[in-house]
Amino acid sequence: MSIIEVSDLHKVFRIPHEKRNTVFETLTGLFRSSGYETFHALRDINFTVEEGEALGVIGENGSGKSTLLKTIARIIRPTDGYVRVNGKITPFLELGVGFQQDFTAAENVRTYATIMGIQKREIQAKLDNILNFADLEKFRDTKLKNFSSGMQVRLAFATAIQTNPEILLMDEVLAVGDMEFQQKCIDVLNQYRNEGVTIVFVSHDLGSVRRFCDRTLLLHKGEQVVLGDTQHVIDSYVYGRNEGEDTGQGNGGSGSLQEGNTNRWGNRKIEITGVEMYDKFGNKSVRFNSFDSMDIRISYKAHEKVLDPVFGIQLYSEKGEQLFGTNTEIKGVIIDHVEGEGHIDLKIERIPMLTGRFLLTVAVHTRDNRIYDWHDKLYRFDVYPTCRDSGLFHIPCTWGF
Amino acid sequence: MVLDHLKELYQYRNLIWNLSLSEFKLRYKNSILGYFWSLLEPLLMLTVLYLVFSNLMRVQVEHYQLFLLLGIILWNFFSRSTGIGMFSIVGKPGMIKKIYFPRDIFVISSCITALLMSLFESVVFVIFMFIFRIPISSTIMYVPLILVLLFIFSLGVSMTLSALNVYFRDMQFIWDVFMQAAFFGTPILYTLEMFPENLRTIALLNPMARIIISARNTIIYSTPATTEDMIYIGVSAIFFLVLGYAVFMKLEPGFAEEI
Repeated sequence: MSIIEVSDLHKVFRIPHEKRNTVFETLTGLFRSSGYETFHALRDINFTVEEGEALGVIGENGSGKSTLLKTIARIIRPTDGYVRVNGKITPFLELGVGFQQDFTAAENVRTYATIMGIQKREIQAKLDNILNFADLEKFRDTKLKNFSSGMQVRLAFATAIQTNPEILLMDEVLAVGDMEFQQKCIDVLNQYRNEGVTIVFVSHDLGSVRRFCDRTLLLHKGEQVVLGDTQHVIDSYVYGRNEGEDTGQGNGGSGSLQEGNTNRWGNRKIEITGVEMYDKFGNKSVRFNSFDSMDIRISYKAHEKVLDPVFGIQLYSEKGEQLFGTNTEIKGVIIDHVEGEGHIDLKIERIPMLTGRFLLTVAVHTRDNRIYDWHDKLYRFDVYPTCRDSGLFHIPCTWGF
Repeated sequence: MVLDHLKELYQYRNLIWNLSLSEFKLRYKNSILGYFWSLLEPLLMLTVLYLVFSNLMRVQVEHYQLFLLLGIILWNFFSRSTGIGMFSIVGKPGMIKKIYFPRDIFVISSCITALLMSLFESVVFVIFMFIFRIPISSTIMYVPLILVLLFIFSLGVSMTLSALNVYFRDMQFIWDVFMQAAFFGTPILYTLEMFPENLRTIALLNPMARIIISARNTIIYSTPATTEDMIYIGVSAIFFLVLGYAVFMKLEPGFAEEI
């Protein structure tokens, strides 16, 4: 039997044009009709989660991830369809629900633990443990209002992990807190996974979804795009959105570039007619995972026979700092001549950048730098992180201890 | 379905108790002086009302102090539980939006908070009973039943109000005015006999009137409550609980979105 079963789930929010929330307004507005907008937050969602499985839910802002989680948690009701849950849910939707600023740490732990469904006897036994874990023993009888927000989060988290959950719902909990706290969260999550707890995990952090989740559900504008193996879904999420949406050409321009573009110059003996980027599956894309491969294809058209041209690229960060540049001459590739239409490919085996938006310059010129066609920062692509290292690019390294 | 719901509520008994107690502590700011004030409040009110009504209005009732105090305590319980209960949903948007448990837990625990406060106040009443040497008779047997029915009645009204308050935020003002009027329409300061003949029947439609009269008779005057009163109280308590439950359950699905 599936532990969570979601079937034909629809959620529609009605957003009235004019909010009436008093008796007076309702009475006076009785004879004036007021329209409302409907917002389809979730549309026809179907999936099941098996016991002990970790399901990731990903999608852009407004794709309905949190709405879905709230529906599973029974906080909001489905408009249509149903959600069936066969087990006890421990929602980690938000830490520290019900904290009272006027009570002491110990009192708040008791209340919060009760909310999280911990038995009374256990709470008393675990109180010292909790305060110890949160590093707050000294502040046992301090009122919560005198705590910093970081201390409150630690206290809440220390309490929350004392539960013995059957089903854990997590919504971006990892997003708050510093690196150390995030690491603690990950450790706890791993421990739960090993104990066979069923986890539904909503996150923007594709790296952690990749690490934790067996299967992943991708939502787009409230619709279920795909549900399947995490690796596969993330690849389709990052790689698959660009069809007909975005060609990666700067300034929203279409394939052909306009004359007089200030970012383009040269005598056009050889014309660059298009630049395309391909992901590791060979699909055209402008979104890449870091460490994946990437192919850049430069299409050209030579109006006459041109001897010994040099093709080159330059890579810039979004701020315009040059990061890398190379050309066929540097790499010792000799192109004897070009004539008519053709293309040349640059293969990047491994994208070393961690995350961000990057700009690409593509050019063709003579060996002594007379320019045939120069497209200055006219192309862009995005890189999505797949690990937790920070910074602009990855340096291969290992720790010795 | 109702049985399942009760079972669920039972599972949450710790939470209900915990919420009631923390609300209770919060009301008194966790201080000894806070508890002291809560005793002083009904005493001061009693003094004022006693002076006005026994000296100026010349109300002639046996044990008028006790008569007044009991009426005030019972009325206070009703007005407090509905007053706190009404805000038990709108006052906790953080909880309602972020976590699920049966939402009536909030209403139940706020009524228990009111009960705790009233039990505290009734210490004063018990002391007065001793001071005036009121004999305790077997009619006191009625009291637990009356109190249980009073609780059920208040809970029912609170559930209705708390749910409506989510959708109509001016309910609180309407209810305040209503309660002011009801205070004088209920035989708290005077006996039912002082009401004009034709108004008595109307006054007796109010369950609070019968609850207060029965409580006084059984506690202070050693007179058993009439069967008619008890049936009326019982039926209306259950009626209001069913009504409250129905309204609450009808509106409950929208709470998280409406708040």
